[in-house]
Amino acid sequence: MTASIPEIYVLWHPMCRDGEALARRIYEWLRPGSGLGPEVFFRSLPAPDAPPGGLPPPLAGESRAGAPPSMAANRWQIVVLLIDAHMISDPAWRNWLHVLATRTGRGTRDLLPVALDDTAYNVPERLRALNFMRPTATAAAGIDGIVRSLLIQLTETLCRMLLTHFRPIPVRGAAGTGNEADRAKLTIFLSHAKADGTGPARRIRDYIYGKTQLAAFYDENDIPFGSGFSRVLQRAIAGDNTAALIAVRSARYADRPWCRREISSFRVPLADPVPGRLGRHWHLNPVLVVDALDGGAVTSGIPELGNAPVVRWSDEVSEQEERIVTMVLRDTMLTAFHRALGRTMPDDRASIVLDWVPDLATLLCIPEVRARRRALTVYYPGRGLSLLELNMLEDHFPRLTFRSFERAET
Amino acid sequence: MSTFKYSAGASTSLLIGLSISYQRDNLLARGLGLEHLREMLLRLARELLRQGANLAYGGHWQEAEDNFTYDLLRLVSAEQQERQLAQDLDADEEPRIGRLYNHSAWPAYLSITPQIEAQWINCCRIVRIDQAQAGIAEADRSPDDGTVAAPGSDGHRRRLRNAAIALSAMRRIATVGTEIAIPHRSRPERVPPLAARILLGGKVQQYSGFVPGIFEEALLTLDARAPLYVLGGFGGAAEVIARAIDGSGKAPPPELTEAWQHEHTPALATLADAAKAIGLPPGVRDTKAALKDLAKGLAGARRQPAKALRTGLSDDETRELMRTTDMRRATQLVLTGLHRGFGMHELPG
Repeated sequence: MTASIPEIYVLWHPMCRDGEALARRIYEWLRPGSGLGPEVFFRSLPAPDAPPGGLPPPLAGESRAGAPPSMAANRWQIVVLLIDAHMISDPAWRNWLHVLATRTGRGTRDLLPVALDDTAYNVPERLRALNFMRPTATAAAGIDGIVRSLLIQLTETLCRMLLTHFRPIPVRGAAGTGNEADRAKLTIFLSHAKADGTGPARRIRDYIYGKTQLAAFYDENDIPFGSGFSRVLQRAIAGDNTAALIAVRSARYADRPWCRREISSFRVPLADPVPGRLGRHWHLNPVLVVDALDGGAVTSGIPELGNAPVVRWSDEVSEQEERIVTMVLRDTMLTAFHRALGRTMPDDRASIVLDWVPDLATLLCIPEVRARRRALTVYYPGRGLSLLELNMLEDHFPRLTFRSFERAET
Repeated sequence: MSTFKYSAGASTSLLIGLSISYQRDNLLARGLGLEHLREMLLRLARELLRQGANLAYGGHWQEAEDNFTYDLLRLVSAEQQERQLAQDLDADEEPRIGRLYNHSAWPAYLSITPQIEAQWINCCRIVRIDQAQAGIAEADRSPDDGTVAAPGSDGHRRRLRNAAIALSAMRRIATVGTEIAIPHRSRPERVPPLAARILLGGKVQQYSGFVPGIFEEALLTLDARAPLYVLGGFGGAAEVIARAIDGSGKAPPPELTEAWQHEHTPALATLADAAKAIGLPPGVRDTKAALKDLAKGLAGARRQPAKALRTGLSDDETRELMRTTDMRRATQLVLTGLHRGFGMHELPG
């Protein structure tokens, strides 16, 4: 598979009422922290040199004058089409949709149609076979509801596309079958201590099954009677389809051996050999911690959790399970993106490339880091850790030099 | 020196000007939005602050989506807090994080309350440019009391003219530096001149003043022979400037002509009438003069843009900076230029 870096285009007709608001929210969502995710470009108003009523600038590598497309082979364009009646009825846009669906050049172009109204399905023929996203919301929820609904569907779709693109994750676990059905079922592993009740975990599981196209591994249901508990758990944790883990951290979570085993297994980086590159690449599946401690409850810390993000659970927050699942899916998507971006980093035998922001716990799982035999440069996603964090890491790993992706070439 | 590998670079104390504003349609027609502009600005600003550079931005203080003042203030504040913590842990840690200089022209500064100034005092120095500093004769000054004259009246025309003159003065003073007298202090406070200016986006029409702000700031930077970094890939006035330098035709882009400006910014006619009726203080360039001087300066930069703009980059790199839409690359090029020109250190981590 090529090491192409996905770039997102959001297209909407200039007359589309909600197009710009949706596009801007997509940008903010896919590029958190001032731009950590894939690049997002807009296409709506006519290009500066277009005739009145003309089209926006072409996509990168796209040709307008009927010339052959020149998209580079390693380009991967994901085009989100916010389709409404204006786009459908405008002949120029309609023709453009047809062109986008039929000419891709040597690169890869994936079209993701979004039906903003019922006319959206009257797209040119090549697009009709695609599965449309359909953001819906009650009238009371308004545009915010539409945005939320769209972001959930888009995140799930992008997550699946990026994970599929970069499979197989090379070690541990059973190989995927490679067919559509198999690829479609991403699994979220739910780790929880049953001794503390199953409220939050059950709500998250029910949301996953009721409102998404994902699967959940929830040990109460998913371990067949008579099966080897350890073996089934390990297979689920390490499986190709398992995209992320949500740890519901209640008072007794830290004391439950199975919970600790689940979390420690999941937070072990996986070697990710990249053909042709000298440096070692490492991959870590994302973990999201749901803090379900009751007020005043006391529990132990869990060092394996490292810098995993934490969400506070509250029964009073409506649709919290939706936010949790969407957030962990976005982290999964960003991890896949960083995995691809890592392949563009400077390469030599004295470098290692991570697809997560390093912390003590995960670094210690990497043998060459633990061995401390030689100086290494560690490339990691983002704009750079704070000086404080860097200095703390230096205390523990004096032979490592940390370089963020952003500063890798500055 | 810090004992740590990841200490910040030596404090540069340079003042880097940020010329940026947002014009929706211009940007959207190029496939970009406000988010792109803000992200690009904050990427650059963060790196510069961590080098100890100060930033100059002449934005206003109204809470508005397309106003970048508060974005920059929040960034300065966050970076200062982080550096303070690092310094607490390591006494040798370089303490300096740059701050913001907000040059504010009459009458915009009249709406800045002591509460606003006090709230951000550790992050920002507000430099007010009043009518006297702008060279407006006492007899021609407009009242500061917020009185709004009726449109079409002499008072209204005078106010428009004076605001435009003050805006030009603000841009000039931000470029060349100034001193602020403080009662009972033996030496005035020195506001340094710009070491370099970065152009990003920018309104081309429907602006205040005699010409688009980024045009005037580019001209003043060329006059001052300070480095000018033109990020032309993000649309707006910066793109026009990039086209003027990078283009092959003899004529400047139409946006650099008086006729185009009058056509797209009708308020200019009223301003021109007022300037003609009352006159302009010495040294103030009206629309025609400013556009002519800018077009000439940019045309002179065509053959050797790196030398003319003093970017510290090669000609090819300078042209790449004027065209790229890649934020990471644009940041790299600006930092590389500043590094070569001023010895800014490579940043840690």
